[in-house]
Amino acid sequence: MSVEAPERPRRELFPTDEEYRDHLGSRRRKAVGFKFFCLGMLSIAVLALATLLYTIVNDSFGLVAVVNENDPGAIVAGLGHDPEVTGLQEVTYEELVGLLEANVSSGVGRRLEREQRFYEDRLVFEDEATWAEICASDDPPTGCNAAPRDHNNVYALVQERVVVTDVIASYQLVPSIFSPDRFEAEVAEGFEAGRFPDHDLDRVTYEWRAWFNPTFVTTPQNATPEVAGIRTAVLGSLWLVVVTVLFAVPVGVGAAIYLVEYARPNRFNDFVQTNINNLAGVPSIIYGMLGLAIFVRVLEPLTSGAIFTDGVPPSDNGRTVIAAGLTLGLLTLPVVIISSQEALKAVPDSLRHAGLALGATRWQTVRSQILPVALPGILTGTILAIARAIGETAPLILVGASGFITADPTGPFSKFTALPIQIFQWTARPQEEFHNIAAAASIALLLLLLTLNAVAVILRNRYSRRAE
Amino acid sequence: MKVETEKESGQGGAGFAKRRRPGELAIRGFLFFCGALSIATTIGILYELGKESFLFFGDEEVGVVDFLTATIWQPQVGGFGIWPLVLGTVLISIIAMLVAGPIGLAAAIYLSEYASNRVRGFFKPVLEVLVGIPTVVYGFFALTFVTPLLRSLFGASLVGFFNVLSAGVVVGVLIVPLISSLAEDALRAVPDSLRQAAYAMGASKLEVSTRVVVPAALSGIAAGFVVAMSRAVGETMVVTLAAGASPRNFTLGDDSLFGYILNPFQGAQAMTGYVVITASGDLSYNTIDYNSIFAIGLTLFFMTLGLNSLSRRFVKRFQQVYE
Amino acid sequence: MTNDTSTGSTTGKTADESADGRMTMESGPRTESRIQADDAPGVIETKEMSVYYGDFLAVSRVSLDFGRNQISALIGPSGCGKTTVLRSLNRMNDLVATARTEGEVHYHGQNIYADGVDPVEVRRTIGMVFQKPNPFPKSIFDNISWGAKINGFRGSKSEMEDLVQQALEAAALWDEVKDKLADSGYSLSGGQQQRLCIARAIATQPDVILMDEPCSALDPIATLRIEELMLELKENYSMIIVTHNMQQAARVSDKTAFFNVKLNESGMRTGRLVEYSPTEQLFTSPTEKDTEDYITGRFG
Repeated sequence: MSVEAPERPRRELFPTDEEYRDHLGSRRRKAVGFKFFCLGMLSIAVLALATLLYTIVNDSFGLVAVVNENDPGAIVAGLGHDPEVTGLQEVTYEELVGLLEANVSSGVGRRLEREQRFYEDRLVFEDEATWAEICASDDPPTGCNAAPRDHNNVYALVQERVVVTDVIASYQLVPSIFSPDRFEAEVAEGFEAGRFPDHDLDRVTYEWRAWFNPTFVTTPQNATPEVAGIRTAVLGSLWLVVVTVLFAVPVGVGAAIYLVEYARPNRFNDFVQTNINNLAGVPSIIYGMLGLAIFVRVLEPLTSGAIFTDGVPPSDNGRTVIAAGLTLGLLTLPVVIISSQEALKAVPDSLRHAGLALGATRWQTVRSQILPVALPGILTGTILAIARAIGETAPLILVGASGFITADPTGPFSKFTALPIQIFQWTARPQEEFHNIAAAASIALLLLLLTLNAVAVILRNRYSRRAE
Repeated sequence: MKVETEKESGQGGAGFAKRRRPGELAIRGFLFFCGALSIATTIGILYELGKESFLFFGDEEVGVVDFLTATIWQPQVGGFGIWPLVLGTVLISIIAMLVAGPIGLAAAIYLSEYASNRVRGFFKPVLEVLVGIPTVVYGFFALTFVTPLLRSLFGASLVGFFNVLSAGVVVGVLIVPLISSLAEDALRAVPDSLRQAAYAMGASKLEVSTRVVVPAALSGIAAGFVVAMSRAVGETMVVTLAAGASPRNFTLGDDSLFGYILNPFQGAQAMTGYVVITASGDLSYNTIDYNSIFAIGLTLFFMTLGLNSLSRRFVKRFQQVYE
Repeated sequence: MTNDTSTGSTTGKTADESADGRMTMESGPRTESRIQADDAPGVIETKEMSVYYGDFLAVSRVSLDFGRNQISALIGPSGCGKTTVLRSLNRMNDLVATARTEGEVHYHGQNIYADGVDPVEVRRTIGMVFQKPNPFPKSIFDNISWGAKINGFRGSKSEMEDLVQQALEAAALWDEVKDKLADSGYSLSGGQQQRLCIARAIATQPDVILMDEPCSALDPIATLRIEELMLELKENYSMIIVTHNMQQAARVSDKTAFFNVKLNESGMRTGRLVEYSPTEQLFTSPTEKDTEDYITGRFG
């Protein structure tokens, strides 16, 4: 150790006390500024979320300018009811079908019936012989196999074709509350500019419309935005979830059990693990391509249901619920595996040792000791993975979700649509009203996801409380 | 964790011979099959993408060299250069990273270094919500709010109805949580003793955060950035709805760099957008259009695979820093 | 109990006060360690200082006067507040949200807890070494230059290199690392890392160095080297150390303060200063019974 103390550096290399203090003020200000900058950035993210939700709600409610070609009240009166007491929506199913019969051309009526029947036991527009003939042909229309229409379905048709409701302009929620007169002025300007050649300014009525309402959820798809609903899409999404869960959960949990409880740490298993981690990061559209190439095309006999029926298969190609469900299943599989692995790894080894020490086989230990403890965690992870799958759009487009079917899906081999697909289709249309129902459908989707996530969070909290 | 049960010793007392347990074997086999299915998926992806791409390149109108070097994508006239679509994807992703990078990192710094537990408990779930909203809803938002906003800010003549900026900004918002949560984990993992040492030397909080903590957490932060970039590249619905369906065909040298090629105010179809538009039209098997989807998909697969591997390497480095 | 206070060797230097109160060096024989005359002003002085964490009174009404160019040791059983007292000398307790200090701490004639005093400035000339070595994940060179840069060092690159060398020499680490300054700070052993932290503290030109159990994470040989280093540093710096090792306090310190913790009327375990005397006196003839019980091992 040196005995000589080293030379100390010259004082001038460091600031004097006054210089230091001068600089200290600006350092302090910079520090405070930085804190608020970071907080500001964080707030921007929150603000973006708020703006998005605001946009959706804003477009889902508001004033509309409506032209009814035929007055619903007069129609109700024509049926013999008192319009003050009964609304058009409340008349009987037979009366609604009767209205259609009376007001719609036979050609249109036959087309509607072929799309979807009105009654299980009798035909309205078609005659029995022709019906039997077309249903036995090579390319039967959807009405031959699908369930018949219901009240909401026919009411929407009546609105579309008998009342002929046309929303010619819609206004957003916030302007509707604060400046409704501007809306009327804009509509008037629109008429002068010739934007509504088919209508008359005097026949325009203004009313409040909640594009998102319970009827919206229970009404099937329709090409006309005023009467379209998301029932077909919601049912499609639910069917997809069922198929996805039935495929991804057993396989995913099984794979997780294998990797955590059975697999020895060798290079093959490391490779499998890396592979799963990679798959979790692959964009969803690529899963769609895989689904298109394999489930829709190569496995068409399976996915169209042809191998299960001899004769006419339920679907003429592989673009069915089951193909899409398997595709989504592959998509969520890595996520389910990884989250189940986490849940299993969280179970303390002492439980495993206790079970095995008693002479149980590994499977007996896993089944009775490990799985029950890990189950809530596995469940939570699965629910979150499902929530992600429900929101996926791109793979479904590739696998052939239709945007234009109106019949509810009846089984795994049905053609289908899904909520995100509807939102996509409607958003891509230029007319304002389609944006309104796209926003309303978005609310439905977000509510569905919120419910799923809330269930997952509740489960997680109950689980962690019980573990104490 | 994997305690060996079935020892190989067959010797031992009379009662301890190894019993044959077919049920156990069957279960183990089933579970192994489940695990192996993931490998089958990867093989399936590579095989299908590869096969159809091979058919695509095998068609006389298309050449691999052309695909990789030409800058015109116009299938109707035989233009199959991938660069316009890559340009669209990259432009959008870069805008997205420019938005999400500062926001995500600053948010992570605030949550890790400044916020109390209560404040964190509020902001973290909010950020998680951002990543849980379906991308099609983001697409709706981009088309019905952001684009009109941009058009009123910058003028409708400058900003097209479809534009890359709107898509990029919205994708940026979408990926903020990916950066912020990985960066925050990395920042919080920095031991407090380092902060204490820095404070004790007379540093202000800004100096401690930016000159000690952030550099120490750099690998984790980089991992977050790369994951976010990978997500932006693979993003589909927002770019389809907001960036439009015309590929930005260009010719280097002829077209102006900032006025056209890199112009954020006009639309440019991205790789994922092309796939979606093509697939939702009439699509018969074994046509050039059908096969081209897979060629694009293969490119996309390798791009995201590369980015994801890179991010995993960063995470491993971040875990090794503290010996 | 044998007393082993080490004194300086025969060759050494005289310490002088220069006009601005900072230490400058002159060569000359090294003096014996001096006990501060009790009426000469110390370098840090606490007056009735109490520290609260929320409602919990951690340490109560401490009045201490730490001498210039001396090593003062704070000893006592665990929970007696000695680390709390140490950390309040450079306002490191401010980092704990619920901490609150009453009373005064005077440094350079000023109460550092007065309104308007910026803790950053307080820490500029009081350095700190922690219990577990905590070098930055940077190179050895950058570890040392960082603090200087933060505090406004404006020399050239070669002047910075000189500063780093001087700090490492003062910390008795230069010979071991001079060929690997670009290596990471983590590549050193535990004892070397702690000396690196000492060098890092020295580089900012403090006049006081606080040390919180600096050797407790080190092996006995490394401990010995650090203790020797402390005695050398005493020539230029004032040091206040917390230690749970009484023998260490006896070996290196000039004055020792003994703290104890007792249950007070409100049921809280509050620490307080029991006795503060020159080390030799505290260990051979303590005035308080508690002190005697502690040093003879009856508790703690």
